[in-house]
Parts: sequence; C-alpha cells; structure tokens
Amino acid sequence: MSTLLNISQLSWQVQNKAILQNINFNVRKGEVIGIIGPNGAGKTSLLRCITNQNNILASTNVTGSVQLKSRAITQYSAKEVAQHFALVMQKNDTIFALSVQDVMKMGLLPHKTLFSLDSDHDKAQINLALKKVGLEQALHHSFNQLSGGEQQRVLIARALVQASQVLILDEPTNHLDVFYQHQVLQLVNKLNITVIMTVHDLNLASLYCQRLLLLNQGQLICDGSPEEVLTPKQLSQVFGLPCQQSIDPMTGATQVSFYLPETDEHHSRFSESVDE
Amino acid sequence: MNKVTTIFLVLIALVILSAMAAVTFGPADIDSAELISCLVGSCQNQIANIVIWQVRIPRVLVALVAGMGLAIAGAILQNTTRNPLADPYLFGIVSGAGLGATIANISLADNLTIALPLAAFLGALFSVIIVVFIAKVLQRMEQLLLAGVAVSFMLGSITQFILYFGEPFATNRVIFWLMGSLARVEMANFYVIASVLIVAIVTVIAVHRQIDALLLGDESAASLGVDVDKLRLLMLGICAALTATIVAYCGGIGFVGLMIPHIVRQLIGVTTLKLIIGSALIGAIFLIWVDVIARSSLPHAEIPIGIITSALGSIFFLFIMYRSRAIT
Repeated sequence: MSTLLNISQLSWQVQNKAILQNINFNVRKGEVIGIIGPNGAGKTSLLRCITNQNNILASTNVTGSVQLKSRAITQYSAKEVAQHFALVMQKNDTIFALSVQDVMKMGLLPHKTLFSLDSDHDKAQINLALKKVGLEQALHHSFNQLSGGEQQRVLIARALVQASQVLILDEPTNHLDVFYQHQVLQLVNKLNITVIMTVHDLNLASLYCQRLLLLNQGQLICDGSPEEVLTPKQLSQVFGLPCQQSIDPMTGATQVSFYLPETDEHHSRFSESVDE
Repeated sequence: MNKVTTIFLVLIALVILSAMAAVTFGPADIDSAELISCLVGSCQNQIANIVIWQVRIPRVLVALVAGMGLAIAGAILQNTTRNPLADPYLFGIVSGAGLGATIANISLADNLTIALPLAAFLGALFSVIIVVFIAKVLQRMEQLLLAGVAVSFMLGSITQFILYFGEPFATNRVIFWLMGSLARVEMANFYVIASVLIVAIVTVIAVHRQIDALLLGDESAASLGVDVDKLRLLMLGICAALTATIVAYCGGIGFVGLMIPHIVRQLIGVTTLKLIIGSALIGAIFLIWVDVIARSSLPHAEIPIGIITSALGSIFFLFIMYRSRAIT
C-alpha cells in the first residue's frame, strides 16, 4: 500500500503547554486508523493539524510537517484540501430546518465553481451515496429530526459525495446507543477508503480499526495493531486505572476491561479525579 | 415544474401586478383608462402624465427595490451568522445612518438633498467599520452581532445627545427622516439602489454554496474549503452597502429584513439561493403594499412607512413567539 500521508515531528505549543509533542507516523492508502487516549490527550488537535484546519500549520506555535502525497499540505489550497479530506464532526449546530438533500449538496462544494448549479449527475451522486448508507428514503426529510445515528450516516454520505480520499471522523459514536455505534462503524469500515477517526470506546476501536494510535498528553505513546496497543501496562499508565486484556470469543478481537483501583498508585489518581 | 419554481413564478407575477396596481393609488384622481394611456405614451392629460411618471412610478419602483434590498440583507445576515434574528438594524447600520443624517441636518441646513443621503451612507459605513473592527480585535467573528448591538446603542446615544441640544427645526427633520418615508424619492434614487442591489444579488448567487456550507457550523464549512471569516466579512460589507443606500434615501424602515426571510424559510426553503430569491420577491410585494397603505389610508396626510413596518413587524414577532410556544 502506498503512503498517502506523512506526519513528521509535529508539535503544537500553546502558552507553554504542549498540545502535541513530536508526533511521527505515516498513513497508507486504505488503512482504518483509530486515535485513542484520555480526554485532553490531543486527539482532536491532531486531526486539526492533519487537515490543516484554519491554516493551523502556518501558525508559529506549530512545528513539523504534514505531507499529503509527498507534498506539504500547506501548499494545497483550502479547496484542494477539501477534495482530499472529508470531515465528519462531533457537533453540528444548525437551527435552520435543513433537509437531508441540503446537507448532502454541501458535499459538492469542493468540486464546484462560483455560480454553478446542480446537475443531474450531482443528484445521481447524492442518491447513490444515500443508498450506500441505507438512507435513500430520507432525501427530503428534515436533518434535525433524524436520530443521532442517522445524522452521522448522512454526514458520512456527504463525505462520499465530496469524493475525498481520506475520511476523518471526530468521535463518530458519541451520543449513539450501542446499535448505532456498531452500525456507523461497520459502515465506515465497508467504504473501502482511508479512514482516520478518534474513538473513545477502546473495544469499538479494537473491533473496527486495523491500526491504533495511543495518545497521552500530546505524545504518541504507541502505534500498532489493536493487540499491540491495548496492553494492560500501557493502558493503565495512560488512563490511571488497572485493566485486563482478553480476546472476544465471538469476534476474535482484542478487548479490554478496566476495573476499580485497589493499589495505592492507581487509587491516588482516581480519588484525586473524583475529588475534582 | 417543481413546487419551488411554481412559487417563484407566482411571486414574480404578484410583484408585477402589485407594482401596476400600486401606481393607481394616490391622492390625484386618475382612472385606469387614463393610467394605461399614460403608460403607453398616448396621454391626453398632462397633469396625469406628470403624476404617473414623476411621482408614482419612481415611488413604486423605489418601494420595490428597497423591499428587495432590505429583505435580502436580512436573509444574507441570518444565513451567514446562523442567527434567525440577525437584521441589518442590529449591526448598527441604521443608527450609524441616523447619526450621519443628524450631523448633516444640524451642521448643513441648506443643500440637504445631496448631503443627507451622503451623510447617512457614510454614517452607516462608519458604524460597520467599527463593528468589524471590534470583532476583529476580539478575534471572534461570531461576536459581530453583539458588537453591532453595542455600537448601535452607542451611536444612538450620540445622536440623541446632538438632537437634544440641536435646533428644533433640524431635530424635527431628523426625527421624521428616521421614521422612514418614500414621499420624496426620485427616479435617480431607484437607479442607485437598483445598481447596488444587482451587485449584491450577483455576488450572493456566486457564493451561494459557500454560504450554505456555513449553515451546519463554521468548522464544517471550513472543512469544505470555505474561508469562513473572509466570506462573512464580504457578506457583511454587501449588507452594509445595501442597507446604507436604502436608508440614505428612505430613512428608517425596520423589521423587513427580519420578517420576510422568516416567511420565506417556512414557505420555500432555508438554503441561500431559495432564500435570496424568495426574500427579494416577497420583500418587494410587502413594501409596495405597505407604501400604498402609508400614502392612502389617511385623507390628507401620509403615515411614515417605518411606523407601519415596525407595527406589523412587532405583531409578527409576537405571532412567531406564540407559534413556537405552541410547538414546544
């Protein structure tokens, strides 16, 4: 598989606090990568840097480089970046009654010029993408009235219309119940494109990602297969809770379970955080 | 033909019919046969000819473009700030124009025909520059609206201070001007407003997809390749120019920018292209008829048009509140 993205010596410092510290990794075409780690570990910040949101890499606080197809991402225009990366965000704050079709049409933007109207081809693309996520009936429904899982699927379909090569998802399973969590991640897995996503639930990450990046306090602690990354030693250090690794008998995936601390070392962080 | 196209065609027909019907209203007694003969250029009655071509038609045309412009300005601001209550008035544009008009009235008593609109226009632009400057200093473009409200009150209090100590005649003129009126408009005003309106509409149509992308949040828009701050600034500039031009000639006409896009969203849709076209058409119909009410409801006097739009607007507002209470 060819290398699509190269992140090298990436650091981000804000007011003496290191958000990201010397991050290095490559992304190959077709990989499904999960970024895991505790709150504030720098997961979303890393996504921001990879996609150069608000031209963040030009800021003096950020050092290192992100290369897309062997060319610095800062050399791509915002429109070109949007042709390569599609983002599915955690939160979508719309108050207007957008229809699913309205949301889908946004995906056409990176491929459109000024004044352009929708063509029949665009409409066919939109219908095809909705079909792929199983929502072909919802074209004229109100986006706000869909369930959280359906909204995520519409946004993934929008990313398909955007026809980008990398799908970036920030906590795609947040606020979803177990059924929708699996449905959304299974869908993402089946799309056959490169995916980089932040995931809170370690067992879901293990089940649906080929490769995990474990972040803690802005540092990349471990980069490897779920089995390599989700070790009790590493996880208990990072999350401050003792844990056990096992193999799920149904799926064969590495699974972890955390339990309440008994030793003094773990107990001190746990009780501190409870006191807060 | 789909539903939206049908609605647009009906609205276009209504705009034309409203404009034609509005020309027949007025204190001078002109019957429809005379009206038609004057419109086609075979008028026997010279007075009727002058009344129609130099008084009524300019007035109806200015009402048409002013209604379009105010409604579009509201629609653009609402979509670019994702705030259904955004209105050119909240950005300090009108209070800036008011201050400009006040200074012109107090300091240059003669030659007001050119000085008043010019001063109002400069005042409006001045206020927008302050609003954008504050938002830039705070580095928060989403706080434009709050900055606008603050600037609006500040300029309003300066205006009131000047008026309080000003000469009573000049003060009266400013107060009447602030109430809004189309009584003194000329054909030249129509050309100016229409030119700004065309520039605004063409620009918005050019970037309608970018504005739509904002509807799902700044982050989402940025991920689709939109330069959010630049787009918002461009749109604010267009709204300022549009509103300032209209306010300069017609005085304060409130609530049109707030009310009309709200109706369009319910009737036609929320995306920018539909919202702009719909707001332009319904805004034109609305202001043409409000002006008819303003000039023909009292026997020997006119009601300032801003009084009627504000009265209708506030009732409309309460109606929206009542309806949203019923829904939730």
